Amino acid sequence: MHKSVGIEGATRILVKRDADIVLVCQRARSLAADLKFSGNDQVALVIAISEIARNIILYAGEGEIFIKTVFDGDTPGICIVARDQGAGISDVSLALQDGYSTGGGLGVGLPGARRLMDEFEIDSKVGQGTTVAMIKWNR
Amino acid sequence: MFMDDDFTDDAMSGVASTIQKLEDLLLVTVPRDLMDDQVLSLRREVVKHIRLYNSLWVLLDFSQVDICDSYFGRFIQSMANMVRLTGARVIISGLQDAVIETMVELGMTLPDVRAVLDLDEALAMSRTNGKVDADTSETELAELSFLDSSTFDFFEV
Repeated sequence: MHKSVGIEGATRILVKRDADIVLVCQRARSLAADLKFSGNDQVALVIAISEIARNIILYAGEGEIFIKTVFDGDTPGICIVARDQGAGISDVSLALQDGYSTGGGLGVGLPGARRLMDEFEIDSKVGQGTTVAMIKWNR
Repeated sequence: MFMDDDFTDDAMSGVASTIQKLEDLLLVTVPRDLMDDQVLSLRREVVKHIRLYNSLWVLLDFSQVDICDSYFGRFIQSMANMVRLTGARVIISGLQDAVIETMVELGMTLPDVRAVLDLDEALAMSRTNGKVDADTSETELAELSFLDSSTFDFFEV
């Protein structure tokens, strides 16, 4: 994971209802547009965030998402950190498999988000919660 | 789908107006911003209108939608399952390039749902295959065995 990942200096958005997902996605998209991301990359970024945000609401009830601009040399990117204090994921590698879901979903959310972003890291402890950190670079 | 902040009651009441009859087709314009509660009412409205017009096909027009996450994918799948139980079929049209790209990336290829490029093609298809033929009906019946109660619970979160 790139060294610039983190929540320092990031915009924090509480995620509790589906309207909050709209807000997070709007914020990320306008940031991506400012950084001249291509249309397809903007969509990929927004989908990845939407999947992660839905997971927060579905599995943890509520959580928070941090958005900020990061740089790798001259290359701008968007860093997203999603954090909740939910039940956590007992088997992270299983949750990252296509088609696996405990919530009646399609099982594409986490693995899909990982594919749509350039960098993706998930840290989860049962009983303590889950943190997902991811970056999309504008290369 | 999530781009505007217009998710008020107005948007809710607007759901019905996005459903129109076109020959044997029920044309459903999927709103750009589809919120959780609207999904439920839109599915109900579609089934109600299938009965009203005896529609054989339901065309979900996605040309307004520029973001399609897995929640939207579940919407399409569950809509197709519900429509199938009324004897009609679902066609989707108007998927934007970026939407197609992300759907494939997410693994949402929706094998049971037919897709066409645009409204012309959907109309042509419904005219050619006016009635669902016997062979297909048998296949459809076999597919029904995959339906269980969870199919209808997707949105009750």
